[in-house]
Amino acid sequence: MIATVEDAYKRLGKVQALRGVTLEVREGELLALLGPNGAGKTTLVSLLVGLRSPDRGQVRLAGRDPRNPEARRILGVTPQSTGFPPNLRVGEVVELVQAHYSRPLKTGDVLERFGLTNLERRSVSDLSGGQARRLAVALAFVGNPRLAVLDEPTTGLDVESRRALWEQIKTFRSAGGTVLLTTHYLEEAEELADRVVVLARGKVLTRGSPNEIKRRVNLQRVLLRIRQLPQLNGVEKIEREGDRFVIWTHDSDALVRELVMSGLAFSNLEVLPASLEEAFLAVLNEEES
Amino acid sequence: MKLLLAHTKVELLTLLRTPGFLIPTMIFPSMFFLMFAAPNLLNTYAANFATGSFMAFAVFTVTFFQFGVGTANERENPWSSFVRTLPAHPIYRNGGKVLTAAALAMLAALVLVVVAHFTTPLDLPLASWPRIFLALAAGGVMMGMLGTALAYLVTPKAALPLANLIYLPLAFMGGMWMPPSMLPKAVQTFSPYLPSRQWMELVWAAMSGKQWNSSHWLAVAGFILIFVLLAGWAQQRDERIRF
Repeated sequence: MIATVEDAYKRLGKVQALRGVTLEVREGELLALLGPNGAGKTTLVSLLVGLRSPDRGQVRLAGRDPRNPEARRILGVTPQSTGFPPNLRVGEVVELVQAHYSRPLKTGDVLERFGLTNLERRSVSDLSGGQARRLAVALAFVGNPRLAVLDEPTTGLDVESRRALWEQIKTFRSAGGTVLLTTHYLEEAEELADRVVVLARGKVLTRGSPNEIKRRVNLQRVLLRIRQLPQLNGVEKIEREGDRFVIWTHDSDALVRELVMSGLAFSNLEVLPASLEEAFLAVLNEEES
Repeated sequence: MKLLLAHTKVELLTLLRTPGFLIPTMIFPSMFFLMFAAPNLLNTYAANFATGSFMAFAVFTVTFFQFGVGTANERENPWSSFVRTLPAHPIYRNGGKVLTAAALAMLAALVLVVVAHFTTPLDLPLASWPRIFLALAAGGVMMGMLGTALAYLVTPKAALPLANLIYLPLAFMGGMWMPPSMLPKAVQTFSPYLPSRQWMELVWAAMSGKQWNSSHWLAVAGFILIFVLLAGWAQQRDERIRF
């Protein structure tokens, strides 16, 4: 086990950010932490990379406390927001990270792999948003770590850059590297992850393979005006929105077929995908009620 | 060693490329000195005294603002969080800051000595420099810690205005710009209770070759302790609240 979190609690100011989270990252796997904003993903990551210690519970990196700098030698981290010190050049930022590891990658190689060739002398404040984001992710790999922790690596990237980054993550893994990744995007977890842990409101909501998770949270909303709803299969939840019903379901096609077969009159039919956020909240409410 | 150098390099480059930091800290103390002090310094004793005061002012400016406003900016900037995840003991990061501050403070003091040398009858025997250095360094540590405490106590946006609000009166009332006997009466009565004044007593003694009075060293050490404790407490409080 390369990283473990055991029953961790963390309060930040007035917010109870983590409420008993247990997590294991196995050597060689890619584990995706999925969850809506405010779920506690970033707080959990901050415990694993040694920025904070838990109020209760235990966090370990290869058996050691991540607050200990020696324990972090196996670790490469990407910052979530791209706030580089504005007066430094790309090469200088990479050099600072290299100085912390015994066998770092060469600056030229890093920049080439992340699509930043020839930008070594560019001031970081002159990078485009996408370039800055790619540099941030690249920094996690500079030290040639055993475990790369990527906090929302592709947020704000265009489709092409996102795909290119996914390829780099795959390359890293094929050389035996382990990855812990947080993301808002189900498709990202689906593309990359061996296992997914869903976090919501500071707790682990569910865990499983990307396919299992997708089945659970891939919801659609069917909206329609109807006098009385018939008995329907595969309904997760029913709500009223104005004069329309909102039906949450995993299979909107089957649901619409059933509606038509029932012969009842309905109007204003609309099928909308639920965002991951909405799906989580729906699943969450259902589990808590 | 490699790590200390790497962190010092980054810190130094960042500051050297910030014009809003370098010009005020390097030029202003000498400029004030030329405008307000130098014309009145007719003998060596007065020149030594005033040069010591303004060297302390230069060191004060560098250390207080580097640690004060610099730390405040870091609180806002996610980059410092990233740097803290790198596998290095905090001593390297902080060591880099201290080395940078020491280098820049010495540079600022040196600029002042050079200016004083050409414009006043300054005459300091080589033998007094170790004591001058020691006195300036002690004050630099004190003001660096005060800056750090301030940076963690207030919001990053309030840090710069508040720093100015503390810095200018401390310099003036501590006697950095004019000898205490020339300060307004009211100021004279409470000036001895200020950290800046206690520091100045050490610097003045070193500049004039007089014995140090141990009470001033005790006072400076006491202020350092208070500021360290305050900074430590404020830093932990900040870590608890911040996301």
